[in-house]
Amino acid sequence: MLGYIIRRILAVIPVMAIVAIFVFLLLRLTPGDPAAIIAGDSATPAQLERIRESLGLSEPLHVQLVTWIGQLFQGDLGTSIISNQPVTRLIGQRIWPTLQIGTLTIILSVLIAVPLGVLAAWRHRTWVDYAVMTFSVLGFSIPVFVIGYIFIKIFAIDLRWLPVQGYSAPSENLQAFFLRAILPCLTLATIYVALIARMTRASMLEVLGEDYVRTARAKGVKERIVLFRHALRNAAVPIMTIIGTGFALLISGVVVTESVFNIPGIGRLTVDAILARDYPVIQAMILLTSAIYVFINLLIDISYTFFDPRIRY
Amino acid sequence: MIFRNRDFSDRPTALQIKGLSVATVGGRTETQILSSIDVTIRDGETVCLVGESGSGKSVTSLAVMGLLPKGSLEVTGGRIELEGQNLLDLDAGAMREMRARRISMIFQEPMTALNPVMTVGAQIEEVLDSHTRLGAAEKKKRVIDIMEQVHLPDVERIYGSYPHQLSGGQRQRIMIAMALILEPKLLIADEPTTALDVTTQNQVLKLIAELQERHGTAVLFITHDMGVVAEIADTVYVMRHGEIVEHAPVETLLRSPRKVYTRELLAAVPSLIPRAARASRDDAPALDVKGLTKIYDTRGAFKKGRQTRAAENVDFAIGRGRTLGIVGESGSGKSTVARCIMRLIDPTDGEIRVGQADIAKLNRAALQPHRKHIQIVFQDPFRSLNPRWTIGDSLIEGLLNFGQSRDEALKHAGELMELVGLPRDALRRYPHQFSGGQRQRIAIARAIAMRPDILVADEAVSALDVSVQAQVLKLLDDLQEKLGIAILFITHDLRVAAQICDEVVVMQHGRIVEHDTAENVLGRPAHDYTRALIEAAPGRSWDFANFRELATN
Repeated sequence: MLGYIIRRILAVIPVMAIVAIFVFLLLRLTPGDPAAIIAGDSATPAQLERIRESLGLSEPLHVQLVTWIGQLFQGDLGTSIISNQPVTRLIGQRIWPTLQIGTLTIILSVLIAVPLGVLAAWRHRTWVDYAVMTFSVLGFSIPVFVIGYIFIKIFAIDLRWLPVQGYSAPSENLQAFFLRAILPCLTLATIYVALIARMTRASMLEVLGEDYVRTARAKGVKERIVLFRHALRNAAVPIMTIIGTGFALLISGVVVTESVFNIPGIGRLTVDAILARDYPVIQAMILLTSAIYVFINLLIDISYTFFDPRIRY
Repeated sequence: MIFRNRDFSDRPTALQIKGLSVATVGGRTETQILSSIDVTIRDGETVCLVGESGSGKSVTSLAVMGLLPKGSLEVTGGRIELEGQNLLDLDAGAMREMRARRISMIFQEPMTALNPVMTVGAQIEEVLDSHTRLGAAEKKKRVIDIMEQVHLPDVERIYGSYPHQLSGGQRQRIMIAMALILEPKLLIADEPTTALDVTTQNQVLKLIAELQERHGTAVLFITHDMGVVAEIADTVYVMRHGEIVEHAPVETLLRSPRKVYTRELLAAVPSLIPRAARASRDDAPALDVKGLTKIYDTRGAFKKGRQTRAAENVDFAIGRGRTLGIVGESGSGKSTVARCIMRLIDPTDGEIRVGQADIAKLNRAALQPHRKHIQIVFQDPFRSLNPRWTIGDSLIEGLLNFGQSRDEALKHAGELMELVGLPRDALRRYPHQFSGGQRQRIAIARAIAMRPDILVADEAVSALDVSVQAQVLKLLDDLQEKLGIAILFITHDLRVAAQICDEVVVMQHGRIVEHDTAENVLGRPAHDYTRALIEAAPGRSWDFANFRELATN
């Protein structure tokens, strides 16, 4: 068990190394002078020279790589070209809203999607099943920003139940935070719920045909326990996998959702950086989102051993 | 043969099924699965329900449990009375209360019948959680007590074990413990020993009889194995096409069956008397195996490696036109040997001579031309044919690989169909349109399409009903006669081995413990293990086909 966890953690190292090298090369191998790309069209030769100096561009490529990775380990992600602030500070200011919305969305999605999927499988080929599946197809095919605007139109503008947009920190006003978080979370959750519910249903359908489910029923166990204790735990591994891989959808969804709801998170930071060609920030964002993605999937890999005692590879 | 011959006529009735009918629902047409069947079981009695697959045995048991699959099967008439109370009148909640408390059931496959992600202790305890209000300490005490009653070793450790850490026999004991912990009136056992080795089967049958004696449980035992019936039944009901053909006390039924179908069923039971070995056709063996060894290294990341010797120093040879059987229990290494010979896995050491060539060490490319000389038929005809391919496509794939044109290959496939007793137009159909026996014929046709010198049959008839089994064995025999193939027949069933093998190899723990003609191995076993195997074969002193004791020589 411990060996498995250690091996999973060690396996993260090469993945992150490849991502880091890719991010490093992203700027260096772009056609043209990196300094010119960074400085923009209206730069003076003196400015270019200063940027070249700060990036160490006169050194050979592998020396630059070592220097850059050394800086990464010291928590130095460079300086934003636009605001001239350290990238770490920029991220530090913007990451909390995103983490809050993101965590809330994951919890909300799992709480909605898993019971929906279980219900659909249990009532296989009834109207319940068809309703869940229809929702799932819709949720998956409508773009995130469209869902966001539909929710705003219905709940904020027509019904006036919730604010249209904005963000309020939970440390200042918890109620205001939740009121403003509901719509972005629901928007972000739709596609995720669709995905997880679908996988839960498929996985449960397979498990419900297993002999041990019949055994549980033959023991006179209540149907609720048959479904959630016996079937769901056996169906959990594919569901966890899809929660992990589907996390990528969440990351791209965050960028759109934060723009729609005007939330000052790292999604917005990324969009702004891309529009301004603020390369150090873009690089940092790629590194950060990859790291989060890898970390979440590491947790999920480790969670397998909790769900299935047979997994010991 | 000592039958149980107990009289239950004065005992109270435990279960009475009256005119029970079950039909399919939801489909376009309603098909009758059970047609008005009557069964009576008294306290302490063992009733065996026998019949071939599709006869309605399992549907009967599921109907009693109230576990018919919703939306596909439904009771359409009759009564199921447990001590006078009609179970069909109960609502879902009341019926759930009956399960485990009054009626319990154990299933065929102990490997899959237990939840793999819960400890077995928790799974037994769940019965108490669902039906009683005992404290935690009392519950654990009851569970440990029943686990001791089913003679599990090291109970405290097994209590906290997961199913995959236990053997098949231990798992079936867990199932039995689970079924009997609340001392139900009726125990339904649906082929509970079919997936077990003979020696384990014997122990489990004894255990069920012992617990039945102690608790006075009525047992409805479903099986297709007449040997088991002879050993354990008080009364036998024969089923066919959803109807009871006849029922009688066990000795009466086996000595003087009244109905033609019963006679046919009994006549199809293969005899344990081995065939006489046929003369070898020529001196050079078709297959010659020397010192075959397969060792698995299991290496952990932080632990030292451990070696598993799946097969060690296995020697045998098969001449053209002859059949050699490898018998042994699960884990004895017989399938490992078969897979090594097919080169589906790579042997660690030894020689495998096919004709002149040693194929044990050849690489993929060098092996390719030799593949056609040696072909295999697998156990499960439902999974060994690609469900998305027509029979024709499956049959000619090998021929196309060896350079025949499609037309030629299809023509050849048509001839093969006739050879195995199927119509030519079967080539255009898909596997699901055939029965198990037909599929196994197709699998055999596929194997012989390559005109192999050697055919490996890995438990090739084990999944089939006895009557179908007899036909497939006959087909193999005829084909051998015509084509002169050498057959390597892997089986756990001594009766089948006796029918078809000239020579028999007995394997245990990866080694050969005995190798002689079938006559000697089965008639005058030299090794203790062989003797134990033969003694464990249920009903071995009864000659089913002739309705009498086996003539002893």
